[in-house]
Amino acid sequence: MNSSIIEILTPRYELAWYPWAVQYFFLIAISYSALLLSLPGTIGRGQLAQRWQPMARLALLITLTCTLVAPVALLADLHQPMRFWHFYTNATPTSWMSIGSILLPLYLISVLAYVWLAWRPALQKARAGSGFRPSIAKVLSFGDWQASRAILTTVALVATLFAFGIMLYTGAEIAIIKARPLWHTNWLPIMFVTTGMVAAAGLVILLNRWMSPEREGREDINRQGLKVILIAMLISALVATAWFVSGFSGHSDSVAAALQSIQANSDWRLSAIWALVAGVTLFVLAGLALKAGNQARSVLNWAWIVGLLALHVGWAFRWMVLMEVQTVAKNTAGYYQLVVELGSYGLMGIIGTFGLWLAALLLIDLFIPWQGKAQLEAQHG
Amino acid sequence: MDFARRAILGQIAKLTAGAALVPLASITMSSSAVASPINSQPARREGDASKRYGMLIDLRQCIGCQACTVSCHIENEAPLGNFRTIVSQYEVSNESTGDFATMMLPRLCNQCENPPCVPVCPVQATFQRKDGIVVVDNEACVGCAYCVQACPYDARFINKKTQTADKCTFCAHRLEANLLPACVESCVGGARIIGDMRAPSSQISKMIAQHRSELMVLKPEQGTLPQVYYLGMDERFLSRPQAEPALWDVRDMDGKEIGYEFLDH
Ligand code: SF4
Ligand code: SF4
Repeated sequence: MNSSIIEILTPRYELAWYPWAVQYFFLIAISYSALLLSLPGTIGRGQLAQRWQPMARLALLITLTCTLVAPVALLADLHQPMRFWHFYTNATPTSWMSIGSILLPLYLISVLAYVWLAWRPALQKARAGSGFRPSIAKVLSFGDWQASRAILTTVALVATLFAFGIMLYTGAEIAIIKARPLWHTNWLPIMFVTTGMVAAAGLVILLNRWMSPEREGREDINRQGLKVILIAMLISALVATAWFVSGFSGHSDSVAAALQSIQANSDWRLSAIWALVAGVTLFVLAGLALKAGNQARSVLNWAWIVGLLALHVGWAFRWMVLMEVQTVAKNTAGYYQLVVELGSYGLMGIIGTFGLWLAALLLIDLFIPWQGKAQLEAQHG
Repeated sequence: MDFARRAILGQIAKLTAGAALVPLASITMSSSAVASPINSQPARREGDASKRYGMLIDLRQCIGCQACTVSCHIENEAPLGNFRTIVSQYEVSNESTGDFATMMLPRLCNQCENPPCVPVCPVQATFQRKDGIVVVDNEACVGCAYCVQACPYDARFINKKTQTADKCTFCAHRLEANLLPACVESCVGGARIIGDMRAPSSQISKMIAQHRSELMVLKPEQGTLPQVYYLGMDERFLSRPQAEPALWDVRDMDGKEIGYEFLDH
């Protein structure tokens, strides 16, 4: 086949999914991962609960804020957002996206209920006095009754169940698309979860630097977060290897499609090198930080950089998968151009989502005693 | 990157093996899924169940004039830069002899018998009619673009004006009025033949019977069972061709890109 082919006229289409989609996948993955990270400290017992309680405080804050903001990004990715109610009048059992649209509000409600129950004792205590915070606490605590531990545990488990549903649907939604061989692999949903865990632990470490109350607890949180990052990165590396091997053995066209794009497109080459460098750097830095932490040296002043890098890895993976893959034309020669414009469909959308999240975080920090007992003691003692 | 090449060659082999297969047997297949498991075809609705529309494109007659592209664009008011149908034009050169040949390949929605764009639609806005035509109800469409991702042929796009999914419908509105689709009507070489494949006397049925063994469909390995058949097809073009894009960017003297409406919204 020593012929060369030139395609003379090549239509070039815009990408159909905007960066909003990346924001949704990023936030929802952090949300379900943080939910899992909050469990041992919230519903665990004895020593386990004690060790993970400081981490759980931050994880609850993260899961709540991300769960609240993620659906906004999802809605914004629709070209007809005002028609979102069609999802409920025309529910479609054949579509993973439709299944997701039913799971998402259930997940949201269960997370709200779980975090509320976990924060309620602190809310009830915060009712004392006058002023804005106590009056908010009065409204939000809904009376004096005490929720039993069993209720908290049940609600937490229900939320966890829906969290698994979200993991499944977000992964399957992408992986079933046969038309894009790069997406059509069973390894992708697993990778979404492991990189989500990396990002969530990264965010815990980042917030820990500025928002955690106690000095000692903070070093513990860092160590736990770093461990989570190391384990999740290790699993991600294994999954990536398994994906690559499945390509070699002819079980997946996904690998061949990736290699073809890396060969043909300099953007792809750059991204692949970047991903590798960022991943290895994160692993090494997290390892170093953990080692220092284990030797009882304080890593508080620089571990947040590892956290930031972990967030970057989690986000960039989704950017690669959702945006870069869309540049591969399915029928015609070459690649569509990935232009991130300034407007609300581009850069402003990305920044806006993060801004919204930050606003949610600050509002909660301002009005709700999410730090629990420690915060109250600091205020009143 | 020898491995990449080998994997791709393997794919080509797979696809040529299936290429001769013309999935006509499936035309009589009707989906009657009631309790549908995820990602299976939902029941068809609307349209005349006694018909099954299909198209045969005789590539030997196509001169690449793009009359179909233009007439479709006018008939269906697609925004500039988006096409319900377009003719891909390739220049194939033989590196050892230096000979050139051109290849014209009209593309449109294949009105697949097993259309992956249908079950993914979360609001049932995309559906398949009983006559096989896949349509979008753009009053119901939420513009999620899931179907755009799911179509292996890039036959769909989000219409900037309506902000909903858009695609070729074989000009269903014209068929209903006993008119031919705009592309068929305007085709200079008579390369596009549309008709009811269930009627043995239709021109398309006769041509399918006559050329059965030579007909090919695009990307047969995707299992979509396309109902646009190509006569005089070169196997190298069944899937995304290994080609260099030529007139891709239209740039002015300063190297700034011009000519694409979608760049300046
Ligand atoms: S060609 Fe694409 S849009 Fe048309 S029916 Fe097949 S999958 Fe759907
Ligand atoms: S863009 Fe419209 S037609 Fe396509 S899957 Fe979404 S709702 Fe359905």
